Amino acid sequence: MTVVMLDPGSRAEALRDRSAVIVQLEGISKSFPGVRALGNVDLTIRAGEVHALTGENGSGKSTLSRVIAGLIQPDTGKIIIDGRESVVESPAHALDLGFVMISQELTLAPTLTVAENIFLGRLPRTRLGLVDWARLEVDATKALSRLGVHVSPHAIVSELSVELRQEVEIARALSSNARLLILDEATSSLSEAATARLLNLVRQERDAGMAILMITHRMPEIYAVASVATVLRDGRLIATVPLPETGEADLVRLMVGREISDFYGKREIPAGEKVLEVRDLCSPLGILKPTSLDVRRGEIVGVAGLVGSGKSEFGMVLGGAIPGTGSVKVDGRPVRLGDPRRTIGAGIGYVPDDRKASALLLVRSVAENFSLAWADRLSRAGILNTRLERSEVGDAIKRYRVATASAGASIATLSGGNQQKVILGRTFRRKPDVLVLSEPTRGIDVGAKSEIYRMLQDAAQDGAAVIVISSELPELLGICDRILVFFEGAVLAEFDRGEATEEAIAQVAVAGSRRQPQAKDLSGEPQ
Amino acid sequence: MTVTHLEKRDTVGRHSPRSSVIGRIFQNRYAGALISLVLVGAFLAVTQPVFLTWPNLMNIVKSNSVVFILALGATYVVISGAVDLSVASATAASAMVLGLLLLAGMPAPLAVVVAVLFGALLGAINGTLVSYFKISFFVVTLGTLSVFQSFALIVNDGASVSVFSTAGFKPINAFVNGSLGPFPKILVFDLVLLLLAGGILRYTAFGRALYAIGANPEAARLNGIDVRKVMLAVFIIAGLMAGLGSVVQVGRLTSASAEVDPTLLLTVLAAVLIGGTAFTGGEGGVFGTMIGVLFLGVIQNGLTLSGVSSFWQGMVSGLILIMAVWLGGLRQLLRRRRLSDTSKQH
Repeated sequence: MTVVMLDPGSRAEALRDRSAVIVQLEGISKSFPGVRALGNVDLTIRAGEVHALTGENGSGKSTLSRVIAGLIQPDTGKIIIDGRESVVESPAHALDLGFVMISQELTLAPTLTVAENIFLGRLPRTRLGLVDWARLEVDATKALSRLGVHVSPHAIVSELSVELRQEVEIARALSSNARLLILDEATSSLSEAATARLLNLVRQERDAGMAILMITHRMPEIYAVASVATVLRDGRLIATVPLPETGEADLVRLMVGREISDFYGKREIPAGEKVLEVRDLCSPLGILKPTSLDVRRGEIVGVAGLVGSGKSEFGMVLGGAIPGTGSVKVDGRPVRLGDPRRTIGAGIGYVPDDRKASALLLVRSVAENFSLAWADRLSRAGILNTRLERSEVGDAIKRYRVATASAGASIATLSGGNQQKVILGRTFRRKPDVLVLSEPTRGIDVGAKSEIYRMLQDAAQDGAAVIVISSELPELLGICDRILVFFEGAVLAEFDRGEATEEAIAQVAVAGSRRQPQAKDLSGEPQ
Repeated sequence: MTVTHLEKRDTVGRHSPRSSVIGRIFQNRYAGALISLVLVGAFLAVTQPVFLTWPNLMNIVKSNSVVFILALGATYVVISGAVDLSVASATAASAMVLGLLLLAGMPAPLAVVVAVLFGALLGAINGTLVSYFKISFFVVTLGTLSVFQSFALIVNDGASVSVFSTAGFKPINAFVNGSLGPFPKILVFDLVLLLLAGGILRYTAFGRALYAIGANPEAARLNGIDVRKVMLAVFIIAGLMAGLGSVVQVGRLTSASAEVDPTLLLTVLAAVLIGGTAFTGGEGGVFGTMIGVLFLGVIQNGLTLSGVSSFWQGMVSGLILIMAVWLGGLRQLLRRRRLSDTSKQH
């Protein structure tokens, strides 16, 4: 892998010429069999500028970024690089041009060390042509500290958390002296703290003259760093607008093509009797410390906290996904922990955070993904009632507004938002007394999010106690009646709807205290 | 709201256009095997006049019955995401049990039931180790492959058991080699098994659980499927089929062989994979497996009719296996690429 190294001189030059156009796309179109993914799209990326590329799932954002990164070739249109019409032949060619893309899918070699991964394919050599391990360590340490990641360069990648792996990937991209960094939903697996670090870094690089194309759904991130946003919808260019002059409501309207009058659609739902009683719930092998909680019917309780704070373990123990100790009662009846069949039988519906790993049957149809959760209702003495299944699935597709070609279509053909509607729908349809939802809107587009908030409130209105575990504070603030904040395995604070603010929650989640003032602020400038 | 859904549908619903009959056949997982079967069959029909005669076709059916019965069980195992490497050894072990019981004068129905249950017991051993001791299916069945094989040798000191002259052999012979009009009884039996196996996959909660576990065991578990029990059942079914297969094998050979048929395991797994059941689990079915068995059987028959030395048959079926799975993988790759091109644009 050869990378065009920008010497300090040319970097300074880039800094001087802040508005230098790095890449200009003109009239890019790309069709795949049966689908027009991009139609006549223009995009101009300048040095020293963070350009947000946004739009709903399926709008063509990733296709466009893959054109720039040389992964696919456009059918028509011009790519002008440094003023000359060019072709980005391949990913390797893109790297030569200094275009580096970081996507959600990690591309590290899991059995190698962090340092080896950062300099994979360009390991420093001694004069004898052997690997210069000493220099490798120094360089890797430098690359990591530049990003503020605390990880040993000797650590084996497979032993790192997903979040750390993502940061190693970013360190690798930055150490290659890229001049255009494409971040394709790069923050989707990062915690708030790591996201804040990344955004700080993006600001630094921007100020040093790098061009950054940021593909994201997350409004706070867009407003934190971007100065211009391009909105795509159904493969067409809708608008390129300056930021922050264009408000969030306008941007969302451009994305979805309609007014989302009330994004969260928060309703006043009167709380009924107490239905869930949790006492001293712990995960013996994990990090959850004794936690107690009561939830009433109709209530929506939010659970906030950083990655590793115990918030997702709390959901997993409640859902029976992992063993736990302590007592859980639903409607006064004790629930046996550690066995999903028992928790389901007791009236708890659990939706895990990792759609692909623990919820979807990716090779099966939409219908089978629905009926997976309905075996007891659809079969008698083990025999399936396929007619009942067809009608139930048909109803559910309509009720939960799942956009699919047919019930028999593979679930893999659906967008993330529609997949999530299937997973939530199959659980809701069982009419559980208690719903435990972990990251119910992770990685899905704005329109689908809004529909899912409505689904949650419908369930609460039908009498379910709803627990929403989420890393996205705005959604917790938007839909929850109260919010618990986990810190190092225990609930450290509880906020009522009225008193909860993003800052207050973040302070508890990050610093472990209401009084300590040094909270991470996603939207602010670096301190 | 409706408008945006319709717009989305255009981008999402890109699977529907091919709805012609031929298009649908091409989309099936066993399409490649079916087309190859037709082509090879047509070629043999032209070049070998004997091929298309009724006795020859029925001979193909009869000589592949053991493979077919085992392959039905193996299809279940592969759909659930596992593999049972011990089926051929379990067949030999059950066959020896059957042979010795017949030799000891046990009446045929009882001996058959005991042999079949013995096969199921061997399957239960596999299933228990996999499900409740949480040992990898690969390790377990590789181990029992050797254990069951050894068992078959130990019980009669390495000697085969000729059952031809036993009283119990007559009814077994009548069943395995007899005919109902123009149809071999075994063909009827195979078809009944096929319908039963296919029906269970399609119309029972157990069948659905099998696909779900193969597709995503954690999702299956979190939605209330007792994964361990289902996996135990799957291995018991595979063992049960080995027991049934052993009865047919003894009937055809007129003796119980202490040696494991060296090509049996490969042929069974090859038939399942050629029939479009994915090694990665969660996809496939028994109809494809039937096509796979027929395809391998027709190839073998063609080689025999053409006078090719039987030494070549292993080479041909091995190469066909690799090619079929390669083509299947290619198909999947193409499909994935189309999918990712369209649905990953977020």
